[in-house]
Amino acid sequence: MGSRLGAALVLAAAALLGATVARAYEERLRTLRVWQGALSMLMTEIVYGSTPLPEALQRVARHTSSPVAEFLADVGTALHAQPATPAGELWRRAAAGRPGWCLAPEDEAVLVELGSCLGQSAAADQERHLRRALAQLAHLHDQAEAQRDAHGRLWRYLGLCAGGCLVLLLY
Amino acid sequence: MAAHGHPLRRVDDADPAAVARRIDREILPYLPPRLRPLLAALPAVQRGRLVEIRLRIGQPMAALLQGDEHWFFGAGGLVQDPRQGVQVTAEDGARLLVALTRSSVYALEEEFRQGYITLPGGHRVGFCGEAAVEQGQPRTWRHVGAFNIRIARPVPGAADGVLPRLLAPGGRVRSTLVVSPPACGKTTLLRDLARQISWGVPSLGLAGTTVAVVDERSEIAACYQGVPQYDVGPRTDVCDRCPKAFAIGQLLRAMAPRVLITDEVGAAPDVAALLEAVHAGVTVIASVHGASWAQVAARPALRPLVETAAFERAVLLSRRRGPGTVEAILDLAPPRRAGITPAPDP
Repeated sequence: MGSRLGAALVLAAAALLGATVARAYEERLRTLRVWQGALSMLMTEIVYGSTPLPEALQRVARHTSSPVAEFLADVGTALHAQPATPAGELWRRAAAGRPGWCLAPEDEAVLVELGSCLGQSAAADQERHLRRALAQLAHLHDQAEAQRDAHGRLWRYLGLCAGGCLVLLLY
Repeated sequence: MAAHGHPLRRVDDADPAAVARRIDREILPYLPPRLRPLLAALPAVQRGRLVEIRLRIGQPMAALLQGDEHWFFGAGGLVQDPRQGVQVTAEDGARLLVALTRSSVYALEEEFRQGYITLPGGHRVGFCGEAAVEQGQPRTWRHVGAFNIRIARPVPGAADGVLPRLLAPGGRVRSTLVVSPPACGKTTLLRDLARQISWGVPSLGLAGTTVAVVDERSEIAACYQGVPQYDVGPRTDVCDRCPKAFAIGQLLRAMAPRVLITDEVGAAPDVAALLEAVHAGVTVIASVHGASWAQVAARPALRPLVETAAFERAVLLSRRRGPGTVEAILDLAPPRRAGITPAPDP
């Protein structure tokens, strides 16, 4: 009875590990989609609304899902509190403080590069930076989708198979 | 009725401690962290006398105090020798610009193009540097090398000596031209006229009146996000940073002012718009650059104003006894031949 329970636990743990890795692919996709929506809204606020960046970030944060909403709200609040600190610096600090948001380093690089330009130039230039970031995120989203299709299912099966092998070896 | 040599009530009368507190609250947070302690460490008496703070990259941070005193910020306080002053770095300049624009240059494109920003409290920051020119017109500043922070100081009562002379029987305000060389207090006078006419002065029989201020250079009301930072009265509408000719037409159509106040008239379209306002029955109070009435009358663009007798009074300002010295108040109303300098109102 005890060995059966142990085998079931090992199998479940391995399957869960595989599912967790597979879910990270899904979560990255979702986060990239949320970012694309948020940046489109930010572009509207900046280019058409001329809304100052602290207010624009907080306004977009209110209409965005987690974890992007918290990120934007934090940067907006920091900009209010530290007006003499460049937005890019606060953006970079906020990004560095979020290791667990399922983005790949290449996704974060696009965001950090965008952050360093935000608010620093005229509306036309801001629109160029935002459109470039959106195009890059769309490209990364396509890549992430392909990776999810290729590796997501693989990790799920791998978890199950590894658990099965462990059970066979141990019991 | 002559007010010859009578100076306006000047900013020197303002409470220096109150000015120092405003500087701490409204200017200090914008300064780069490295330079902030230099201003914070000044005695309140000196902070209260500040007129300008200048930051030029590669040069020591400078201060202009009331009484035309030029100083530099040193590590231990104000110094006369620029070599002992604390230098402003490019990083300081970049941080100041970030703070002034709140990391939102795009939201201040027009202000950026014009080279000045108004801060909450009405303080004004002018800047210059390397201009980015497009089709012969400056588009923006590629690099900003110098900043001039001018401390706003309301001077309530600046028009006390002038306003009674501008009133007709029945409390009507007469159309008036304020003639003044630069930096002689004409904007201060216009601002206080707007305030007093808008609030009303019962002791003079002047009821509160709807006033429109055309503030093309954002100096009279110093609007921040469309809201006047100076007290220009409860019945005052301000058209901020808008070209005069357009703004005058817009205000006449939309806001039905009884008195219209504007600064530095000079171009022919502005003069035409002012005449429209006068002919529409609106009292106009405007300022022009000039050291004397003869100079103003000789300017071709202003000739229609002179020849049509659109204005009933002219207030001549100078710096003879300090900024805001009222040299004369001329009565322009009696019929006269063109080119004759009118006599002071007896």
